Amino acid sequence: MPEFIELIFSDLSAQFLSPRKRLFVGYLACAFGIAVLWICVAKRTSLKTSLAMVFAPAVWLSRSSLFDFLCFLINRVLFTFLRPVFLTQITVATLVYQLLHLQVLLPIGALAHVDYWIAASVFTLFYFLFDDFSRFGTHYLMHRIPTLWEFHKFHHSAETLTPLTVTRTHPVEGMIFILRTAIVQGVTIAIFVCLFGNKVDLLTIYGVGVFSLMFHSLGSNLRHSHVALHYPEAIERIFISPAQHQLHHSNDPRHFDRNFGVVLAVWDHLVGSFHPSTHEKISFGLGPVDAGYTKSVWSMYWLPFASLFRRLAVLISRTPKIFERQR
Amino acid sequence: MNKIKLLTCVTFVCLMTTSAIADGHGNHVYGPFPVTLKGYSGDKTNSVSYSGQVGRQLLHNSLKKALSKDASLETLQSYFNGSDGNLPILDPVSSDKFIVDHTNVNDISKTNLSGKAYKGEMAGWPGGMTGKEVLASMIAHGADAPGGYDEKHGYDYAQLVSKFMMGGVFYHQACDNYLDEKLEAGNKPNNKPYKDGAYYTGKEHSWDEAFGYWGAAAHGATLTPKQNYNVAKKKDMVAADANSDGVVNLKSEMNYAHAYYASAFDKGGKTKYYKTITQAFIDGRQVIADANGDALSETERNTIMGKARVICSNWERVIAEAVFKYAGSVYGDLEKLKSGGDAKTYRGYVKHWGELKGFALSLHTSNQNLGELGQKIDGLIKFGPVVGGVTPSQITMNTQRVSGVDDAGNYTFQEASVDEYMLYMLRLQKLMEDEFGVVAKNKDKLAGISNLAEKLGSGESVEND
Repeated sequence: MPEFIELIFSDLSAQFLSPRKRLFVGYLACAFGIAVLWICVAKRTSLKTSLAMVFAPAVWLSRSSLFDFLCFLINRVLFTFLRPVFLTQITVATLVYQLLHLQVLLPIGALAHVDYWIAASVFTLFYFLFDDFSRFGTHYLMHRIPTLWEFHKFHHSAETLTPLTVTRTHPVEGMIFILRTAIVQGVTIAIFVCLFGNKVDLLTIYGVGVFSLMFHSLGSNLRHSHVALHYPEAIERIFISPAQHQLHHSNDPRHFDRNFGVVLAVWDHLVGSFHPSTHEKISFGLGPVDAGYTKSVWSMYWLPFASLFRRLAVLISRTPKIFERQR
Repeated sequence: MNKIKLLTCVTFVCLMTTSAIADGHGNHVYGPFPVTLKGYSGDKTNSVSYSGQVGRQLLHNSLKKALSKDASLETLQSYFNGSDGNLPILDPVSSDKFIVDHTNVNDISKTNLSGKAYKGEMAGWPGGMTGKEVLASMIAHGADAPGGYDEKHGYDYAQLVSKFMMGGVFYHQACDNYLDEKLEAGNKPNNKPYKDGAYYTGKEHSWDEAFGYWGAAAHGATLTPKQNYNVAKKKDMVAADANSDGVVNLKSEMNYAHAYYASAFDKGGKTKYYKTITQAFIDGRQVIADANGDALSETERNTIMGKARVICSNWERVIAEAVFKYAGSVYGDLEKLKSGGDAKTYRGYVKHWGELKGFALSLHTSNQNLGELGQKIDGLIKFGPVVGGVTPSQITMNTQRVSGVDDAGNYTFQEASVDEYMLYMLRLQKLMEDEFGVVAKNKDKLAGISNLAEKLGSGESVEND
């Protein structure tokens, strides 16, 4: 078998077989189990009815879900080949670590005497908070900067949500996410290795970071689903529930630009984008204005560029006028 | 029934032969190889000869030992320049657990080190001297310093001389001479004796001399990295004594110099430098022996030049691994010294820096001009380690380093920063990784970064949350 085919198959299988991946079969099983139980209890339905609701063909076999699947395959192939050229967290960490030698605020090895468990716990918690904040921040910018929103529409064009929708990402957006990961991980690693030395570690269970394992085991995959799992109001003020993220995908203008957070809701409070979950019926997608995005998979990939070119053309056409005004 | 037995035997023999051919390495011991010289009528049956190189290995070992034992300049120079008188082997010497077969260098070969030292200019050492002059200067300074240790300037001359000599003599002679110009068609041809009266051919002896400089035991490729390491450390008599005669033959059963360092890196399990290089020597020598005293054909010469490239590229990497390791050691020592290390830590720091500098200077001595890369290496290591200006071991006060020599030949100082030097050590490790492809990476100061990066992964990075 040619090497690139092997590479792609290995990457695809890892998406479902590695506990370090969001779509790991174990996490999917947890999500389905929670969903079935939730419907049984919240809606007081039988197990059979609950199962029928969770695995509703209208959702799983919809055109939008088919697009999710195709985008997943295209992106996996694309990123399998593109990844080696991207900036890595090791490069960022090495660079930052070297720069830290030239300052005095964070002395090298200043906390090297600290106990292993304390160092590892502080690192794990700090990384969780920094990572979650950076995901929130990136997401916020994807909505607020018009050019970035054109690319983020790719994700919001989904009209039915399934766990696979998490991978419905435009490649340009994917590159931004890779850059975010490299910077967040690189900077965190460099600072902690600088302060604590090589003893600093990530607390893991079965090789997966503890916070990541908790997040995924407790049904992170329901964020992209039609199962509106709500948390009590007080909890939703701290942690984003699946129902709150589904509200983020609503095509009702009242819900636009709400709940950018991933795990923690506290960041949304800071910028005033917090919205509690609602029990009203929600429709997903971009709405009729952007219907062109869901015409075909090709249009999903191409339209953001077309929009970008249009913006550039407008900008260029206006430039002489600016000079004229200056004269 | 007999036919079946015969068929089974034939099949077995065929399989064994095929596997040996597929393996490509029927022989794992360097020698004996037959005398192939046309017209030779003497009684020699083995054409392998590299006692001159073993003599130099012993001169090097003994010189290092003498430097650390306050020997006189005259004694030190006798090991460097050779002597007609008694030259006792100071290392290795016999002990209860490890018995060697010689006690005097001249009994093995009457030779010297200075005549074979690198004659190119060494920009990485103060004074604008050639490699040979640098070694002579280091030896002279070492004779003046107690135990070869110059606390003020941060120089450990036993380490500096030893590590640079391995490159400036052994590696240089092998890769810039015997495995380079002496492999050319018209130079030391295989259909003529190496020199008048010799029983070995030009190419046979050129190859043997290079092997002698490499410093591996003839049977070293049959041993594990740990065994080879313990042989060099004089801890495994059983592994060393290949012919079981109760003594270690210093000519063929001992590991020296870079071969010892290769085994040390290979012990970690990530590399196979020792076996790769030693086996390439064996295979190349077999090609020469198979020519049966005729001039080597173009194909045969291309084959041995290919082996030479394998040998020298891996040999260079062994030296780069050592630079990587000692850059990490120096970094670690500075970390300790910054947080109030004592005189013992400082002594270790100076020793590690001497090893680092000696290995780094060695990288300049092959047939490859390192050019800009060489300047980068020298620029990161500088002429001396960062030392305290008031008390050398107090590196938090008025730090400085050697910047050159004045007209009177005394070392001059310039201001230096510990943190900046630590950064240089990290950059040096990165440089060894990027430019020489080191793999063993002992004392990797960026290992914590790689380990954490591996644990964090980046699997979810292209997903929308």
